[in-house]
Amino acid sequence: MSTDRTTLSFHVNGDPQAVAIPIHRTLLEVLRDELALTGAKKGCNTGTCGACNVLVDDVMIRSCLRLAVSVAECKVTTVEGLARNGMPSVVQQAFLDAGAIQCGFCMTGMIVSASALLAQNPAPTRDEIRIAISGNLCRCSGYVKVVDAIELAASRFRQGNAAEAAAMEIRI
Amino acid sequence: MVAGMNAGLPKPSQVVSLQDIPGLRGMIVEADGAVRIAAMTVHAAVAAESRLAGGLAVVREAALQIAHPAIRNMGTLGGSLADADPNADYPCALLAAGADIELAGPRGRRICPVDAFFLGRFTTALAAGEIIVGVKLPPPALEETSTYLKFSRVDGDYATVSVAVRMGWRDGACTAIRIALGSCGGTPIRVPSAERALVGTKLDVAALRIAAGAYVAACDPPSDFRGTADYRRMIIPGLLERAVRNALNADRGIRS
Amino acid sequence: MNLVNVNKVDGAVGLTMSRLEAWEKANGAAIFTEDMVLAGMLHGALALSKVAHARILGYEISAALALPGVKAVLTGDDFEPRYMGLVVKDETVLAKSKVRYIGEPVAAVAAVDAETARAAARLIEVIYEELPAVFTIEQAVAAHAPVLHEDFDSYFKIYDASTRRTPNELALSTLRRGDIVQGFAESDVILDQVYETSAQYHAYLEPAAALASVDGRGKVTVWSSTQSVFRTQANVHESLGIPMSKIRAVSPRVGGGFGGKSEAMVQPIAVALAMKTGRPVRIALSREEDMTAMRSRHPVRTRIRTGAKRDGTFVARAIETWFDGGAYADDTAAVMNFALFFGTGPYRFDHVDLVGHAVYTNKLRAGAFRGFGNPQVTFASECQIDDLAAELGIDPVDLRLKNLVHAGDRWIGGQVVATSGLEECIEKVATASRWRDRAAKPVEAPDGKRRGLGIALTAHISGFLSTSAIVRLAEDGSVSLNTGAVDLGQGSDTALAQMCAAGLGLTVDAVNVVAADTDASPYNSGTNASRVTYMVGRAIGQATDVVREKMFKLAADMLECNLADLELRPGGFIGVEGTDHSVSFAQIAAKSIWFADGGGPVIGTGSVMHNEPLDPKHTLLAGFLSFDNVGALTFGAQVVDVEIDETTGKVDVVEAWCAHDVGRAINPGAVEGQIQGGFVQGLGYALTEEMVWDGGRLTNPSFKHYKIPSSLDVPYAIHAMIVEVADPLHPFGAKGIGEPPLIGAAAAIPNAIAAAAGARVRKLPVTPERMLRALRFGADGVDV
Repeated sequence: MSTDRTTLSFHVNGDPQAVAIPIHRTLLEVLRDELALTGAKKGCNTGTCGACNVLVDDVMIRSCLRLAVSVAECKVTTVEGLARNGMPSVVQQAFLDAGAIQCGFCMTGMIVSASALLAQNPAPTRDEIRIAISGNLCRCSGYVKVVDAIELAASRFRQGNAAEAAAMEIRI
Repeated sequence: MVAGMNAGLPKPSQVVSLQDIPGLRGMIVEADGAVRIAAMTVHAAVAAESRLAGGLAVVREAALQIAHPAIRNMGTLGGSLADADPNADYPCALLAAGADIELAGPRGRRICPVDAFFLGRFTTALAAGEIIVGVKLPPPALEETSTYLKFSRVDGDYATVSVAVRMGWRDGACTAIRIALGSCGGTPIRVPSAERALVGTKLDVAALRIAAGAYVAACDPPSDFRGTADYRRMIIPGLLERAVRNALNADRGIRS
Repeated sequence: MNLVNVNKVDGAVGLTMSRLEAWEKANGAAIFTEDMVLAGMLHGALALSKVAHARILGYEISAALALPGVKAVLTGDDFEPRYMGLVVKDETVLAKSKVRYIGEPVAAVAAVDAETARAAARLIEVIYEELPAVFTIEQAVAAHAPVLHEDFDSYFKIYDASTRRTPNELALSTLRRGDIVQGFAESDVILDQVYETSAQYHAYLEPAAALASVDGRGKVTVWSSTQSVFRTQANVHESLGIPMSKIRAVSPRVGGGFGGKSEAMVQPIAVALAMKTGRPVRIALSREEDMTAMRSRHPVRTRIRTGAKRDGTFVARAIETWFDGGAYADDTAAVMNFALFFGTGPYRFDHVDLVGHAVYTNKLRAGAFRGFGNPQVTFASECQIDDLAAELGIDPVDLRLKNLVHAGDRWIGGQVVATSGLEECIEKVATASRWRDRAAKPVEAPDGKRRGLGIALTAHISGFLSTSAIVRLAEDGSVSLNTGAVDLGQGSDTALAQMCAAGLGLTVDAVNVVAADTDASPYNSGTNASRVTYMVGRAIGQATDVVREKMFKLAADMLECNLADLELRPGGFIGVEGTDHSVSFAQIAAKSIWFADGGGPVIGTGSVMHNEPLDPKHTLLAGFLSFDNVGALTFGAQVVDVEIDETTGKVDVVEAWCAHDVGRAINPGAVEGQIQGGFVQGLGYALTEEMVWDGGRLTNPSFKHYKIPSSLDVPYAIHAMIVEVADPLHPFGAKGIGEPPLIGAAAAIPNAIAAAAGARVRKLPVTPERMLRALRFGADGVDV
């Protein structure tokens, strides 16, 4: 095992962080084990299930496949960073209201994917929604209510206050 | 690589990141219409490039179908080509596109035509110390069309069989064509003699069947979780035909 | 239930509400086992067997122990031979003296971090004397086959295994009614076919994990991703010999189970490491380890015969089915018996002969998986019925309607069918899918594709074993509900809270659902068998009845009136009818606990075991588990529309209609979610999922190679249709829904394929290759 260590400085959910880590750690491991941000999950650790999805500089990536050192000075957003003052984001609320959440293990990654989609494309078609979450495996829901939730979020987002929407940035 | 490390495979002693090297991202259209895509450009960026149209749409379509959105945000063109996975999408698409691979190393820069770049499973013409810096695509002619057809057993999987086509079509006949067959051997393949035989034809079913026969004979498909070698041989003709039809219908937005 | 003036205000039942714990799941605060950290915690890792069948001669663990950061290494030698298992006790905490499958845990390491633990596990060497192995049923039952469990006869079992004929068979069961020879003699048409299914992986998104900790008095607490805290406790107790009073099993949030986490695997190991090191130990399996070491669905080969009259009346049904159980018995005998129990489907057959074999092989054990043997046999039965329909020239829906079992009929074994909404289910899906129209005028498929509709009916049980509930009135007038049920994500906490609230006229937020805890909760066999809404609901009904009765008595006292004058009012009040005199639950609670004549704390309990004895006059049984205590028969119907690509053989499900009789939908939205999710898991089973072994080596233990459906592999619309025919034993009429949707998909999809393709594939999954071969060569067989 490598014992080389480094100090990783980056931003997580708006907070600056500096952690001393072995250089081969993945971003997923650092988030979960060093920062106690356990929302991102280790479903497969090989980039195939999507439960580890987070945003790096507003781009959705697999945190299990990303070496932590490669996000130095970057802005990382996890599911924990989506709510504001304890209030659900539009996407989170839609997932609750549409009954999309069952066991929940895939849902943090799913919500990150949905948030990234709507930040880029606030009026997605059903096809675009299905493509956006195509890398998030879910074994409980059959995806139907998840797609419903994202459509609901999109329609609410569009109906919402424009300024509020702008302030929401990537959190959607 | 990281997935391998996560699985407990021996870690490399050193990893060098290219992510901060300037000039290794992005796409440029040159004056003559040739397109240069830098090696660290992620699949999502290529997939979003509306400038990759006509004879170059094949590259964009391949990028669009690689894995899943998050992977498309992370994987790079250079990474995919250097990996040379026989089941990957870019190698097949670039073979049909007729790309040139731009390499850089201690002895300077050089160009390797894609036809000479893929040597075998996970093996390329990269010399020790060399990296891929970009891919140059020949300028698309007005009469050209192209497409990337990927058949997989579920969405996001590696291709069971893929077919990439870049062709010219004028006055109801084929003026030029490159067909690359993927996931059917150690590297994607072309059969130039079959391609030449198609030039001048209407790309009718009979002509395509003959060409497909040559591809079936030339390929060396694996038997794996996605199907047996025999199965792949069974479906190549239909998929080749479908890919050509899709390319011909591309401007009308008709796909099958 | 007999109570004075019962008027339940059941507003909370029938309400679509999101899960009680949905918000914490949406914001990352939900704690799953691998999210838990305890002070001083160590990490556990497993060394898994690399050989399929061998005697263990010794271990070389010094290199592992010497690795800095390693605190303990355990092997089978560190344990007494103690056996666990629900149906056959044939498993030890770690392999002991023998290994029987590649992937079997042979040693375990605890170290300061997971990476060190895994590195140490890789350094452990096991000295094997390899033995010949068997990987298929044929090999396992052949004369002179190597024997996996030489001591099988001495294992404790809950069934009569004396009927088995060869040393590697673990069960041979027979279920008969009437006279099969006569039945076939009376038949005008007999179909005789073989159907095969493959091993499916549960693929819950959360891999198996456990965290164990020992306190100063030697009491163990084990948190784990489990479907049953009581089965966890029992397995730890049996495999390690620790008294149950010293084992507390709890669960944090669980990321899916589907049957794969009903029985143990990592928990006893985590406990053993915690006891050895004196520190908490957390083990979380990697996806590959989970696929290699836990359990699968049984691959099954079924020979099925159906005899019918020319007018379509069913006469005779015979099945001989072979279940490949893998290296350990797990739930195998029960799964196979369940399959036989549903061997007739929801149809009337006077003459029935059902034989099931279960066999050990040197592969991963197979165990409980959503459907519990029923998907395999329903696939065979429903497909044969469609072929029979074609043979007789009768519409598949009509043929089924003609032979349906009805309420009041006796199931095989004698159980009376209490209620059945099956006809309504059939009518709903046939109408919604325009079945009749499309039979008359099939939908035209685009060039190069074929389209078709298929139907399947499901019959399943809701319920299993026993369960209990405690409802306590709290001082503020709210109640706490304690049932020992583990919510796997299917929504049981919420549904149970809804039922408890409805029983007392409260809103759901006045119900405190206590997390399952073997220290604090009454016994609950587990979350499986579609049983929780049904059986725990019955226990809750009993408990709330008692609480209501006690509260009414106190209220009558406090309001100085007769019991008969009182009524329950919403929001936690009991009042005198026709007046505005009332007392609140909080006032009643205060009376009960503070006042000499209060009678003490108000608690209600319920305890349920479904009690329908099998009738030996109706059935000849041999080698069978007792199903006296199973549950309520539940029915459903599904129609599926598929499109097949003639070039590649790929099958796409275009649309699905799934109607299920749930008795009463406690939470309709949650029921829909279960139907859709179950359907998609069945879609994967039918089309894409197959665990593939090369000899004893599982070749595809990853999501890269074992493909479950993604959002792009499912139809836009899976119409979940709820039918409600109230069950008489449940306080709200409800039955379960967990399993039937998967069973339906696994049969309706192959039927739709056969209708579209004009060719049938009799093996699941219907991969593109199998389909293409059937299209091209009419390959009707099973050998691809």
